[in-house]
Amino acid sequence: MASEKELDAFLRGVEKRAFKRSLYHVRNQESALDIVQDSMMKLAQHYGHKPVEELPMLFQRILTNSTLDWFRRQKTQNALFTHLGDFESSEDGSEFDLLETLLQNNETDHVDNPQGQAERAQTLHTIEEEIQDLPVRQREAFLMRYWEDMNVAETASAMGCSQGSVKTHCSRAVAALAKALRARGIFL
Amino acid sequence: MNSQTTSFANVHPLIDQFGARIANQLDAATQQLPHDVSERLRAARTQALAKRRVDETEAAGSVTSQGGSAVLGGGFGLWGRAASWLPLVALTVGLVGIGTLQDQMRATEIAEVDVELLTGELPTTAYTDPGFAQYLKHGTQD
Repeated sequence: MASEKELDAFLRGVEKRAFKRSLYHVRNQESALDIVQDSMMKLAQHYGHKPVEELPMLFQRILTNSTLDWFRRQKTQNALFTHLGDFESSEDGSEFDLLETLLQNNETDHVDNPQGQAERAQTLHTIEEEIQDLPVRQREAFLMRYWEDMNVAETASAMGCSQGSVKTHCSRAVAALAKALRARGIFL
Repeated sequence: MNSQTTSFANVHPLIDQFGARIANQLDAATQQLPHDVSERLRAARTQALAKRRVDETEAAGSVTSQGGSAVLGGGFGLWGRAASWLPLVALTVGLVGIGTLQDQMRATEIAEVDVELLTGELPTTAYTDPGFAQYLKHGTQD
């Protein structure tokens, strides 16, 4: 059972990323804060007695559900899930385009381009904008897989889908981000 | 088909690398949260921990009260609760039975006296005569 100190440390460690994740989804600071607070309350109330190692997965699941609840309340779920159709619009040979893009990005990775504070902030802002523009399931899979550092099985469990779907969502999200960032002159 | 499979296998590590690079950028963006947001998150965390403390206290209280009710006979099923009323029902039936029996015995005694009076040689008015009452008193003593 997680002690109060352990629970406090866990929440302290995830709260900022949880806020940002919610913000990317709902695009409203107050709503994102409400979602994170709601998720924290649910975790503490219902799962506070669980071992500390189970908390990350539980929290991710609660956060995802709380975000979906928010969308349901806003009655915008249908509008959001129209993006799901994007998953079926895979084009033949898209992997080749992606490979080319990623390889080019890798080549520019070594370019040392010193930027000022404002320019760096602008880059971060652009990345966040592009993440917000991803279809909701792609964004969710991408953020869980790469930002929360969850493996494919954990991401699939949290999203309630197959591992194959997670891989598809992630690869399409990366392809879309690489393409969009490159178009805006950002090379990572 | 074969070339597609090869390129897909090649691209997967690159996808993960690119994803990790973006995640690093997001980490950097997360460190620059406005002060009011950080404070709201801190308050939310404090509230969640307080909620947990309250729930733990309530849970402990609930266990204690459940223990008390068990001692008092709580937790029985429908038949158990019905059986707990049985002694009271038996007592009530017994009291009613005893009362009815006593009424019958009293009525029988009165009836026997009436029969004696009505079937005796003396008229019933003799027992209301004071002189006869004195005769009976002295005659019995003699």
